[in-house]
Amino acid sequence: MIGDIITIINDYWLLLLIGQYPNGPLGGLANTLILSALSIALAFPVSILFALARLSKWPLLRWPVTVLVYVTRGVPLLMLILWSYFLVPLLTGADVPSFVTMLTTLVIYQGAFLSEVVRAGIVALGEGQMDAARALGHSYLSAMRFIILPQALYNMIPSMISTFVATIKDTTLGYVINVPDLTFAASQVNNQLLTQPFQVFLILAVVYYAICWSLTYLANAVERRISRRRAGPANDPASPSLAQAKIVSEQL
Amino acid sequence: MTTSASSPQQQAIRISNVCKSYGNYPVLKGIEAEVIRGEVVVICGPSGSGKSTLIRTVNRLEEINSGAITFDGQNIHAPMRTKELNLLRSRIGFVFQNFNLFPHLSVVENVSISPIRVKGVAPGVARDKALKLLDRVGLADKAGAYPGQLSGGQQQRVAIARALAMEPPVMLFDEPTSALDPEMVGEVLAVMKGLAAEGMTMLCVTHEMGFAREVADRVWFIDAGEILETAPPEEFFKHPRHPRAQRFLADLRH
Repeated sequence: MIGDIITIINDYWLLLLIGQYPNGPLGGLANTLILSALSIALAFPVSILFALARLSKWPLLRWPVTVLVYVTRGVPLLMLILWSYFLVPLLTGADVPSFVTMLTTLVIYQGAFLSEVVRAGIVALGEGQMDAARALGHSYLSAMRFIILPQALYNMIPSMISTFVATIKDTTLGYVINVPDLTFAASQVNNQLLTQPFQVFLILAVVYYAICWSLTYLANAVERRISRRRAGPANDPASPSLAQAKIVSEQL
Repeated sequence: MTTSASSPQQQAIRISNVCKSYGNYPVLKGIEAEVIRGEVVVICGPSGSGKSTLIRTVNRLEEINSGAITFDGQNIHAPMRTKELNLLRSRIGFVFQNFNLFPHLSVVENVSISPIRVKGVAPGVARDKALKLLDRVGLADKAGAYPGQLSGGQQQRVAIARALAMEPPVMLFDEPTSALDPEMVGEVLAVMKGLAAEGMTMLCVTHEMGFAREVADRVWFIDAGEILETAPPEEFFKHPRHPRAQRFLADLRH
């Protein structure tokens, strides 16, 4: 069986790595990584904007985003993907590539989830930090940028990483709208071999596990480094809020 | 120094008929008072009397329902652009009971970030200034430490240096020693005494009656949202006129 797996990798590694490229669209692992990286890179700023909007004192900003976040979080991702795939071209008449459809859907979906994490991080800091920044003459945005967000985002690193990992896993759903990613490539391989689904999908699982695990590992290392730098012998203020952050994220 | 005899030029802060309530519950009932330039005023009174609320209205961390608070000839509670309000606030130093240092920044960054980000001071200049201020509060050797590594007394002294970094003509203190262990109260009070000796205008909510006796020019006694008595400390502590103040001082002595 290990021999089968080695043979499959030997025969199909290029397809699994880059899909049909250069004879067709870029696919395989490369496309999965690109889709994941773009989703995370875009969902992160989107989530901060969503969180700030939800905390805004202006109802015109707060309400639409609150509705969007609630709806997005209350609907399965597959449903959203199918909506975007079938409804957006129907409504706009535009022919959107499935990659773009998938990316946009993931950004909105994960942005909504992440915005709740970011919002919880901001709220968990308490009023004192904002008061101190305002008393020193900082504007709201300056206080957010230099005082509140650096702390809130730091405290939320564990929850954000798990959202990032979830994003990578969610890219597999692109399969249903024919996004040529790693899952799509693996299923092509499976269709050609027909007799070895277990081996093919084991390779797939191992690759996804390796990616997600290394991201978690890397994030933990970074987090440990920052907290070592910051933690003092006495009353380290980061640890209680970090504990709080974990509780909040578990509730989400 | 009586309450009403100063000219507007001498006034640092003028509080006129300030009323504030939380829902139906009045916290400040028509406060009338003023702080003269260079004066040290101590606000004392029982807990829940509105002291902290009052001092937080002076830089508009709390809104008021009616009245005016004049600082630098401007009513800080007038409708104004947020830019103007931020500028006014940056000229009023504020020291919190819980220090509220920024835990993600080192001590020297805590002190220099607002001059850099609010006033646009060059980072190198702001850093030098911050180091001087830290030296002044006796913490030059802690410049690179993080707030979590400091004791409460040290944190509060950093907080004072942070407020001073904006070069405010007026400093407000909201129970600066209440969250400290007893042995750390002295080091913070020493810094405050030093400031007073240099002629800083100070408005302090505090329970440290020794500090009030030694440093204050006047004491305001506040209860149930009203200033019941203002007097120089020796007069206030020896011969309080208002019965409520007499009872308060009697309770303190026990």
